[in-house]
Amino acid sequence: MEYANLRRQAASLKRSLFDQGYLDEQFCQVEDLQDEASPNFAEEVVSLFFKDSARLVANIEQAMEKYPGDFNRWDAHMQQLKGSCFSIGASKMSNECTSFRNSCAEENAEGCRRSFQKVKREHAILRQKLESYFQLLRQAGPARTATRSGGK
Amino acid sequence: MASNAQGSHMKALLVEDAAVETLFHSAILHMFHCETTVAKTGKEAVDLFLEGKKFDIVLCEKEMPVMNGLEAVEKIRAIGETDVKIVGVSVDCNAMEAFMSAGADVFVPKPITLDVLSAIIQEIINKKNNAMV
Repeated sequence: MEYANLRRQAASLKRSLFDQGYLDEQFCQVEDLQDEASPNFAEEVVSLFFKDSARLVANIEQAMEKYPGDFNRWDAHMQQLKGSCFSIGASKMSNECTSFRNSCAEENAEGCRRSFQKVKREHAILRQKLESYFQLLRQAGPARTATRSGGK
Repeated sequence: MASNAQGSHMKALLVEDAAVETLFHSAILHMFHCETTVAKTGKEAVDLFLEGKKFDIVLCEKEMPVMNGLEAVEKIRAIGETDVKIVGVSVDCNAMEAFMSAGADVFVPKPITLDVLSAIIQEIINKKNNAMV
C-alpha cells in the first residue's frame, strides 16, 4: 500500500535524523503534543521555527556587520536562536549556537564567524530534511488504524 | 502524564517573547488543561498582576525586551503575590541562582519537558486540594 510505504519512508527519514544527530528527543516531545484537535502541530512548530530562525540568523548577521566586536550583542541574538533550537530538538544547530556563544565569551571574533557559518549550514540542511519528512507525511495522509481485509 | 492533571483548570501565565517557545510551551500547558495567558515582556506580566489578575503558575523566560524575567519576578513578589508558583526558564543553566534570588520557586532549564512540567503542576494541584480540605 502506498500509504504504508510513505509512512515507512517518513519513519526511516526521521530515524536517520536522530541517528545523524540532527534531532534529539525534544522533537518527540513536539510530536507528542499532536492530537485530534492539532494533528499537524509538529509541522506548525517546525514551520514557525524556520520562519523565525531565518529572521534571527539575519539579525545576527546584521549585528556582526554593524557592531563589530560587540560580543554581548552577538551573544544575546544567538541566545534567542539557541532557545528556539532547543524547543524543537534541533540538536546540531543548537550545538553550533553554543560554539558561537563560547566564542563570544572568549571574545574570539574569528571563532564566532566560523561558528556562524556552521549555524547557517546546519539550518539549511535541517530545513531541507524536515521539509522532506513532512512532505512524506502529508503524502501519506492521516495515520490510519490497521483493519482486517477480506471477507468473513 | 497529563491525566494526573486532568480537570485542574489552572490559570497559567507564560512570560515569553520568542514565537517558537511560546507556541511550544502554550501547547504543553494546554495539554495540562491550563488556561494560558501570554505576556511578551516582563512589564506586561507585572501589569497583569497589577490589574488584579490571578494565576496559579507563571513560566517566566529570563531574557526579554523592556523588562527581563528576573526583574519581573522581583516585582511580582514585591506586590505581594507570594502564592503563585513561579518557574524561571532559560537556555542558560547558570540562570538558576539569579532566578531563585529574584523570588522564583523553581528553575527549569530549557527545553521544558512534559515530565518536568507535569510534576510541577501536580504539586500545585495537591497544594490546592489540601488547602480546600
